[in-house]
Amino acid sequence: MQTENAIETINLIKKFKSTVPNGNGFLRRKTITVNAVDGINLTVKKGELFGLLGPNGAGKTTLVKMLCTLLPPDGGTALINGFDIVKQQMQVKRSLGTLFSVGERGFFWRLNGYRNLEFFAAIYNVPRQKRNERILEVLKLVGLENNTYMTFQKYSGGMKRKLALARTLLPDPPIIMLDEPTTGLDAISSRTIRDFVQTTVRETGKTVLYTTHYIEEAAQICTKIGILKQGKIVAYDSPEALKAKIKKDEQIELVVEGIEQTQIERMRMLPGVIEVTEKNDQPLMAGQRGIHIELQSVDQLPLIFDFLFEQKIKLVNFKREEPTLEDAFIELTRKT
Amino acid sequence: MAVLNELEKIWYFMKRDIVSFSTYKTNIFVLLLTAVFGALSFAFVGQSSINQSVTNAYGTNYTTYLIIGLAFNTYLGQALTLVQKTINPWALEEVLVSPTGLATFIIGSSIWGFIWSTAVVAIYLLLGVYAFGIILTVNIAGTLIVLALGIGTFIGFSMIGSGILILTKQGDPITALITIATSLFGNVLFPPSVLPPLLQIIAYVTPPYYFFTCIRHVLLGWTIQMILPDLLILTLMCAIIVPVGYVVYSVCLKMARKNGTLSWF
Repeated sequence: MQTENAIETINLIKKFKSTVPNGNGFLRRKTITVNAVDGINLTVKKGELFGLLGPNGAGKTTLVKMLCTLLPPDGGTALINGFDIVKQQMQVKRSLGTLFSVGERGFFWRLNGYRNLEFFAAIYNVPRQKRNERILEVLKLVGLENNTYMTFQKYSGGMKRKLALARTLLPDPPIIMLDEPTTGLDAISSRTIRDFVQTTVRETGKTVLYTTHYIEEAAQICTKIGILKQGKIVAYDSPEALKAKIKKDEQIELVVEGIEQTQIERMRMLPGVIEVTEKNDQPLMAGQRGIHIELQSVDQLPLIFDFLFEQKIKLVNFKREEPTLEDAFIELTRKT
Repeated sequence: MAVLNELEKIWYFMKRDIVSFSTYKTNIFVLLLTAVFGALSFAFVGQSSINQSVTNAYGTNYTTYLIIGLAFNTYLGQALTLVQKTINPWALEEVLVSPTGLATFIIGSSIWGFIWSTAVVAIYLLLGVYAFGIILTVNIAGTLIVLALGIGTFIGFSMIGSGILILTKQGDPITALITIATSLFGNVLFPPSVLPPLLQIIAYVTPPYYFFTCIRHVLLGWTIQMILPDLLILTLMCAIIVPVGYVVYSVCLKMARKNGTLSWF
């Protein structure tokens, strides 16, 4: 089926029932319904590296499990590569590779990496004549070519996750879903996986849905980001556009030479200045002082420069603070 | 003081296990039931009338009766638990997201268990023949038919039990009931004719009784025609239990997927 969207969710809903204590007493409990995924409408275009960002319990894993047909929706539906997750499950499974957040799940600990992948290659319908070549290819892609015949139980945490990534890539699916692939990994392994994902998208044109709660990770690699909170998408755009949505006061940092305390006080009186504080968190030369200024808007910036010029204060360094994706994430998840 | 600290730690280990164990209520019930009925089944083994009953029913001695019973009980035990072994929650999720059907998954996961069980049965029978001098006149076609029906029936039970286990997480009453029924009424250790009349009635409505009756007869040279009434009952039971098992397993799996509890332990 030809479609320009790799993933499309249409008012997707998942509810879970849960029992919670109801007052005192061991047996007094009541059942509540939690909307884990609450009417999500989301579109991921083909070839996009889409980041799904959200705090723990936001519904990221539930959404991934629904998209890979593991959890049936309670309302709405989703299309994967144009196939319906409820009515065309087999086609959906053939279009998808999914890496769950716990990478070592489903592997056989006493089998080596090659034998594990050989089993999964069979159940993912990798043609028999191409199986050996494909297994060695994906092992090399994830950097496990020197550990092909090591038993899985001897793999480190990072190697296990890489093997899980190799398993995801094995059937060469057009769409890959990676659920928190770097959680619990060291910095080097995390970076290897991030670099690999970026390269894969760039070179093969695959679509990647990448869930994470690491904000900078999403900012670094994703072309589009959806922020999920309590089962709802509260923001959806490119990382830059999300940052731009933040109505944040203008923050500037100056390093100046020859400023007196009285002049700092006068600076506070300038129109549009909200706060002026000293900031001495970096090594400075004798006579220099670090100043942090919060302005109502960037329009007030010339007033600051004029003041420094009039007062014959030497400007050594100037830095304007940009809002980060973390600022956007915190503000968007707090607001809604 | 150090000893007290260590004792306190031991107490917390035990407390952890008790609290965890107490959350699997079905399992507690099943364990207690199995223990009680397991003990009861051995109470009948010592009865003096067993030899006569065995000779009357099969025309052989108790050693032959017991070796065949124990050998094929291994087989059925394997069939009864094989579907359970496939439902490691994480492995199940990994397979369910692949383009592989449920039937392929169940059959594929169980093949090796049967090959191994066949080797175990062969060892039992070879030892019986060469070490204990039992005499077998195997009706091969009959044996294969009875085995297929017995294994099918027990896989059906296994699917029902495993379906329930997917929901309860530990302890499935079906497997426990079948295990108890097999040991007490199943014609494995003693013929049901040594049981009190009321318990004999239960034996005659359980599939293990018909399986063990038929398998002993075909291994001792009886023809299909000679065992036809028992074989037909076993066939009927198999024809009912296998589809019921598949439906129960599929429904329970669907429920666990809907509730999101598939990967829970």
